[in-house]
Amino acid sequence: MEDVRQDYVEASDAALVVAIGRYQQAALAEAYRRHAGAVFGLSKRLLSDASRAEEIVQEVFVRLWNDPSRFDPERGTLRSFLLATTHGRSVDLIRADAARRAREEREAREQADGGYDLAREVWDLALAGHVRDALEALAPGEREAIELAYFGGRTYKEVAAELGEPEGTVKSRIRNGLKRLRQELLEAGVSSGTA
Amino acid sequence: MTGRNDIYELDELLGAYALDAVDPDEARRVEDYLAINPKAAAEVADHREVATMLAFTGMEAPDDLWGRIASELDDDPERPAPGPELQRIIQASATAPVPPAVPAVEQPGAAVTSLDEARQRRRWSSSMAWVAGSAAAAVVAVVAITVVVTDRADAPTDPLIAAIETARADIDSVETTLVAENFAATADAVIGQDGRGYLEARELPVLADDQTYQLWGVVSDGQVISLGILGPNLGLETFTVEGDVSALAITIEDAPGVIADGNPDGAFVGTF
Repeated sequence: MEDVRQDYVEASDAALVVAIGRYQQAALAEAYRRHAGAVFGLSKRLLSDASRAEEIVQEVFVRLWNDPSRFDPERGTLRSFLLATTHGRSVDLIRADAARRAREEREAREQADGGYDLAREVWDLALAGHVRDALEALAPGEREAIELAYFGGRTYKEVAAELGEPEGTVKSRIRNGLKRLRQELLEAGVSSGTA
Repeated sequence: MTGRNDIYELDELLGAYALDAVDPDEARRVEDYLAINPKAAAEVADHREVATMLAFTGMEAPDDLWGRIASELDDDPERPAPGPELQRIIQASATAPVPPAVPAVEQPGAAVTSLDEARQRRRWSSSMAWVAGSAAAAVVAVVAITVVVTDRADAPTDPLIAAIETARADIDSVETTLVAENFAATADAVIGQDGRGYLEARELPVLADDQTYQLWGVVSDGQVISLGILGPNLGLETFTVEGDVSALAITIEDAPGVIADGNPDGAFVGTF
């Protein structure tokens, strides 16, 4: 990452985006240095495919370069924006039939090898302690619905069918679970700015 | 589907929407809703921040990936300069340090529009659209009769504004945004734990003299009760509720108002 200029290292994310809007490639390099790992990690986790995850990373940062005005600093952090974009694009791929078939085959193999424990993966993260505690504070139905929707790339209707629950129940569990997670994390002093 | 149910369903979808867990049609409906309901938009932003924390992986991207990205970047100097939207970002981030080495890009003739100005213009045009869409609001059934004194506050005083802020800051208060059924305009309401409510409805258009706005509440047993006659020209209003209210609605009625309304279709509706 020799492209990162020293004067951008201390810049805020919002300042980086302004500089990206002025076509400063070094600013994008700094944004990449800060967030590419999270973008890659989320996409790889969703797609179970490193090479496709790399394509998503590439797409996400090129989109930021081409249209930085899509980022609204009043609506959240740059990391949140990039990960929301990453999640949306990854889910698009997952929902394509071919991608889904391949993924389910891979998941089946992984489950056969030793289980598919989403919570355990989360626990390995640098800030996993707080996230784990917050997840544990959720009702099991809320946690399951959020995990299947977010990390499984499923719609809430698919989650409802998979769990054998009414769609309205799953909708509410996702919404209420996210609210509860936020509250738990805030009370623990964790925000996405620290993640 | 009634307007109230529609708003309720959209509110319930916000979590799933934030996680990309809705169908494309539902996503479009939610996006239309978010465009006119800042409270809902803020909730989605909150949900996405939570998802960000769940997604944090601490993983490193492959070594050669940046090189591939850099080779794709279009740095053609002939590209147009950043537009007004980016200027808004620049304003929003005015307090953030910008590296001094970055040269500014001039935008000849591009007026910088403040966020407040833009919002005011959007509200005005939304109000005009709402006038056309709300003409059919009608009284269809008598459900209940409740008379509650409504205080007008045509010229809001500082104590009133302070009371609203106090109510909003109280975690025991409940807040909602009332949204027109066609999503064209909104009003905000907050009810304190003492039952005192405040309604900010400045963007609703002024009615003819023979019409009036009327505020309704859905109480715990599902009945719709009148919370007051508001007059033809809304601003900052106060009202009082007794007991739990699960939703509010504003309808247009013939002056001097009606004693009951069982179907607030075409009205502004907000749920708690």
